[in-house]
Parts: sequence; structure tokens; C-alpha cells
Amino acid sequence: MTTSQLPTEAPAAVPRRRNGGGERTPRANSLLKLGQWWWAVPGILMVVAVHYAATAVGASMAFTNWTGIGSFEWIGLRNFQRIFSDPTKLLALRNTLVLAFASVLLSNLAGMVLAMGLNRILKTRFILRTLFFMPVVLSPLATSYIWKFIFQLDGPLNSILEAIGLDSLVRPWLADPTWALWAVLLVVVWQNTGFAMVIYMSGLAAVPVEVEEAAAIDGANMLQRIWHVTIPALRPAIAIATTLGIVNGLRIFDQILALTGGGPANATSTLATEVYKQAFTLGNFGYGAALALLLTLIILVFAVIQQRLTQGPSET
Amino acid sequence: MTRHASAVLRTSAFAALPVVIALAGCSSSSGTASGGGSAGGSTSFTLTYAKSNNVESPFEILAKEYMKANPSITINLEAKPNDTYGDSVRTQLQAGNAADVIETEAGSGQSRSIVPLAKANFLEPLGNTAAKMIPPGSEALFQVDGKTYGQPLGISYAGLVYNSKAAEAAGITAPAKDFDQVKAACSKAAGGGKSLYVLAGSTVPNAGITSLIISATRVYADDPDWNKKRTDGQTTFAGTTGWQQTLQTIVDLNKTGCFQKGAEGAGFDAITNNMAKGTSVAFFGPLGSASELQKAAPDQKFVAEAFPPATSGGKAFGIASATYSLSLNAASTKKDPANAFLNWLADPDQGDLFAKASGGLPISGLDKLDLSTTIYADVADILKKGDYTALPNSGWKSPAVYDALATGVQGLITGQATVDSVLKSMDTAWDQ
Repeated sequence: MTTSQLPTEAPAAVPRRRNGGGERTPRANSLLKLGQWWWAVPGILMVVAVHYAATAVGASMAFTNWTGIGSFEWIGLRNFQRIFSDPTKLLALRNTLVLAFASVLLSNLAGMVLAMGLNRILKTRFILRTLFFMPVVLSPLATSYIWKFIFQLDGPLNSILEAIGLDSLVRPWLADPTWALWAVLLVVVWQNTGFAMVIYMSGLAAVPVEVEEAAAIDGANMLQRIWHVTIPALRPAIAIATTLGIVNGLRIFDQILALTGGGPANATSTLATEVYKQAFTLGNFGYGAALALLLTLIILVFAVIQQRLTQGPSET
Repeated sequence: MTRHASAVLRTSAFAALPVVIALAGCSSSSGTASGGGSAGGSTSFTLTYAKSNNVESPFEILAKEYMKANPSITINLEAKPNDTYGDSVRTQLQAGNAADVIETEAGSGQSRSIVPLAKANFLEPLGNTAAKMIPPGSEALFQVDGKTYGQPLGISYAGLVYNSKAAEAAGITAPAKDFDQVKAACSKAAGGGKSLYVLAGSTVPNAGITSLIISATRVYADDPDWNKKRTDGQTTFAGTTGWQQTLQTIVDLNKTGCFQKGAEGAGFDAITNNMAKGTSVAFFGPLGSASELQKAAPDQKFVAEAFPPATSGGKAFGIASATYSLSLNAASTKKDPANAFLNWLADPDQGDLFAKASGGLPISGLDKLDLSTTIYADVADILKKGDYTALPNSGWKSPAVYDALATGVQGLITGQATVDSVLKSMDTAWDQ
């Protein structure tokens, strides 16, 4: 890694603040010390109150039967028992994992290929990079409605299939229990690939050309150079891209809500859409909070596992 | 170690988001509190209602009329999107900043329903004027422990919104009187390049109401007290022949090609487009939408029809209920002017005005009304004889039961579900 090649110079002789300026009195020094941590208190309190306390209160609702109005009772783990005995929630869990891992795999593979292809040489690479990155900056909701139009029974995709004689493939893609999930996956991958591409391009910028050239002189072919030189150098980029990808993949919500609403008959529902449905459509806040807590734990576990797996040997 | 710890913290922060989102939705509130007040001798109060299009709401029309008749009163209108209306109202009630007068729905089957809101002490009991407006037999949908918490405003008939011109164009001379005639009409419509029915199969409201309308003749015609029996645990969805027949009818309609192509993935736009163009003959829904369709497609003619019983010997039966109602916020500081507004609404003239604006029927005097020249002519007998039930799901235990039904209907059309599995899922939703 480039950071390991930096010369190990002795730290510059920066005077320590405590001792710098010998004219400070002991009282001024103690006030400064006090101020250093006092200044952070408002921010810390805000973070604790708005973020962690709110999250803890929300998580505690998972153990109640609150309907969003009135009082509630503590019901222990009953909400979780209900989740694991309900086939529709298990299907949502399966869909969540399938979408998260498939979208991470496909968007990272596509992003890496695009990053390598558009890294050097091509004259049009700057325009192409912009085009491939554009879906990332567009609203997922807005683009999903465009894709919904494309997938409709009388939409452009089916028109093209009919025009080329593939009438047997014409179907309402988003209402087909077999194809709906894969249609959603396609949209998610299309939207996320540009983000992965940018991360890998920043990683590729740190790969010295000399190393690649040296490998080429040593007789390594292109695949060998990619496998033995480029990929190891991209390890930090892979860690970032896949971690963010998994976390975002497990939370996929906008695209599903716009494309299928979780249908047909729950075929594309995920834990995130079930949280919304239970808490905000059906008024089961306690049950919705239990689903949210489960999703939180799954994200936490997979993110930590993924971080461990992608860490380089030098960082352990 | 430090790096690991910070990574865990970072991922924890990401991971906590869903819970925070739930909390944010729970605690966020917009709009004004019991806004207004007395200023310069005038009194004001707030009225919130659901709105799903740009057409002037009947509540806006009534509020304007009231302010015209009472210049010292100002009604601040708070329109909310229909699809999130129930959640918004619940959040505001919980936060203590809901409007003074709130649009509610009869019964307990929706998030905006009167019974759960009243049981949570969010609604103020209303007086005798409101109680007298409740249609006979519907008291349980508006009252809790003998106290009235919602004032019904009009009757809404739910059945087939039927395009008679499209039917003529397809060679269908008269509406079907039994299910065999329905199937024959489906074939005839298909032969004319149309579908007999258009279904928004991907939407919970349309998939749900389609099955409820069919259930009127299969379940509630013979057993009007079926909801009470289910509440008392004397019967189940899965164990009721009428419910099995209801869902089997949907399966048969689909197999016969009565719905338009791609019905399982269609939204409300399919209903609007097909009905306005005349490419479908009818759809299942509230008749209030007929007047809006008529404005959008003046060259077509939309009337009310009933979905027929299974056989010609069966009893014609429909769904008509006091869907719209208004309630008073228990935390309101403007109860007197708000009550005065509700009393004014109880006048039959205002009832007629509301019915006209909403495309529905007046709350009282239905048996004496001359419907022969209205869009309700073909269902006049049903309405005059009282051969109808309130919207069945208004008496169901929770919105989850209706959701299970609507989701199940989509599953029946795609082949993901069976009649038995859908009915069992409804029973499961009821029992939780």
C-alpha cells in the first residue's frame, strides 16, 4: 500500500501545547484543559440523545405490543417468535439476504471491470465515467418509476421482445413471482455499479504503474497482473465498497416500494419493506420495531464479518 | 484494535438507521396544533381530511359553505395524502397536535377507524345529534361503551362501476344476473377486444374491495352477522363456505379471462385508462369514483351495478356503508365551535350537499329517495330494501386481516396462493 511506502521520518519538532509558550500561568493551563473536553459536551449530548437514546427507545419497543396509539404491554420475545413462525417474514428475510449479497457481488464485479476498463488509455474515459456514475446521483425513487414503466406489460421491454419475435417471453415482469425479484435486483445493480466503480478507480490510482510494468516484464499475462498485482492493491477499496454495499443492500427499500410494493403476494418483500408495512401501514409498531431490530442485528453481524474478511494481513 | 473498534462503531451507526427511521416516523409531526383561536372577535378551528387527487374535496365544499353562513368562523383546512392519512393522524394524536375535527372511518379495520382511536381516548364523545345519524344496525361501528365518537356524513355504495356504452359496444345487452351469465359476458367482451372487468391487482384497496363486493352475495346475504360470529370465535374464514366461494369466484374470473391482461401487476392507472377508453366494461369499487370518471370521459356512461349471486335464485345483495365520518379531537381546545360545525352538518340540506360533492348517497331517508333517474337506478331495489351490509372489513379486528385478503387475491391470480391458504392467512391475522 502506498501508505506503507512513506518514509519513516522522525516527527517534526512541534512544541507540545501544554508546554508551549512558557508565559502561560498554571491557572490558564487548567482552564484550557477543562475547556478542551467541555467544548465537546454539547455535541456529545446531542449525539447521545438524538442518535443512541432514540435508537435504544426504538429498540425497546420491539418487546411491546404497541399499536402506535395508547398504552402498551411488555410481551417479551413474542414478537420475535411471531417473526420466525411466519412464512412471509422468513421469505422477507431470505429476499433481504439474496438482494443484499447478489447486489454486492454483481455491482462490485461490474464496478471493478468498469474501473479497470476506464482507468487509462481510453480517450472517452471521462465521458464514460460520468455516464456510468450518473445513476448513483439520481433519486432511487424516480429511477425506479422509470424502470417500472420499462417493465410494464405494455412497456418498452416487452415491445422489444415482441418486435424481435420473442413473444413467449412477454410478461408483466414486476408481477411475475419468478422474475420480480430479479427485476428488482437488476435495477439495484444498475444504480449501485457507478458507486463501486468510483471507489475502485480511486483504489487503482494508488497502484504504481511501475509495479505493473515490472510484472509484465517478468512475463505475467494480463489476468495474472490483475490477480497478483491489482487486486491485492485494491484490498482497501474492496473493503469499503463491499461494506457499504452490504449495509445498503440489506436496507434496500425505495426501489422495492416503487417497483413492486413487496408484491406479487410478498414475493419481493424484504425486512425493510416489512418494517414499513407493519409499523406505518398496519399500525403494529411493536412488531415493526422487532423486525427493525432484527434487521439492525443482521446488518451489524454481516458488516463486522465482512470487515474482518477483507482486512489485510498488515492491519491485523 | 482501535481500527476494529471504530469500524464496529461505524457499522453500528449504519445498522441503527432502521430503528431510527421507525422512530423518526413515529415522532415526526407536521401541521399545526389545534390552531387558530379567537382573534378580533373571530373563532377558528382546524379540520383535517384525506385527499387523493386535485378534485375539490367534499370537506372543502362544506367548510366553505359553513364559513359563508358563519362569517365569524374560520375553518383551517389540513388536507393530507390519502395513503398516509391514518398514520399522520395517529402520530399527531399521539403527539397532541392533531386537528380539532378529524375525518375518521367507521369501525376498526383501518388505521383511521373510530373504535381503536376512541378506545385510546383520543376522541371526544359526541352528542345525540351525531348518534341519531348512525344508520340502524351500524352502532357498533361508531360507538364504544354506548358513547358516539363519529358522526356519519353519507352513504357510499360499493359495487360495479359499469360503463354501459362499453358494454353495448362489446355486445353485452344487459348486466349479468348470475355467475354463468358473467362468464358468458367475459367471453363476449374478450371477443370484442375488451375485458369485462379491470382489476388493479397490485393495489391492496382494489384487490381487497373486489373480494369484499363478491362476498356480499356469497357470505353476508345469508349471514349478515358473520362478522360478529367471527369476533365471538364461532366461525372462521377457512371454515366458511361463503368465503371459499368468494375466493373461488376470483380464481374462476381469472381463468375465464374476465380481467384485463396483466391484471396481477396493474395499478389504479389501469382502471382509469381502461374505463375512460372503454377497453374494460366495469371495475369493482366505490361508486363515488363514477362521477370523477364521468368528468374525465364525458363520452362514456358510468352507472352502478351489483355483482350477481352465484345462481339466478340467489339473493341480490350489496355493500353500502357510512364510510365518511367526522370525529372530535379529545385534546381540542375548540370543542364548542367544532361541535357547532358538526351539528350544522347534521342538517339534511348539508347531507344532500355532501352526497352530491362525494358522489355518494345521503345518510338518511334512503328508503324514500327516488333513484330511478340517477346512476343508482339499477341497484335502487337493493338500497331501498336495505339488502346491503356495511363494508365488511370495517368490523374486522385489524387492518392486517384486510391486508392478508388483498395480498392473497394477488397470489390467487399469480398462482402463488390457494383459496385455503389465503383464508388461513386471514384467520391467522385475525387471531394475532
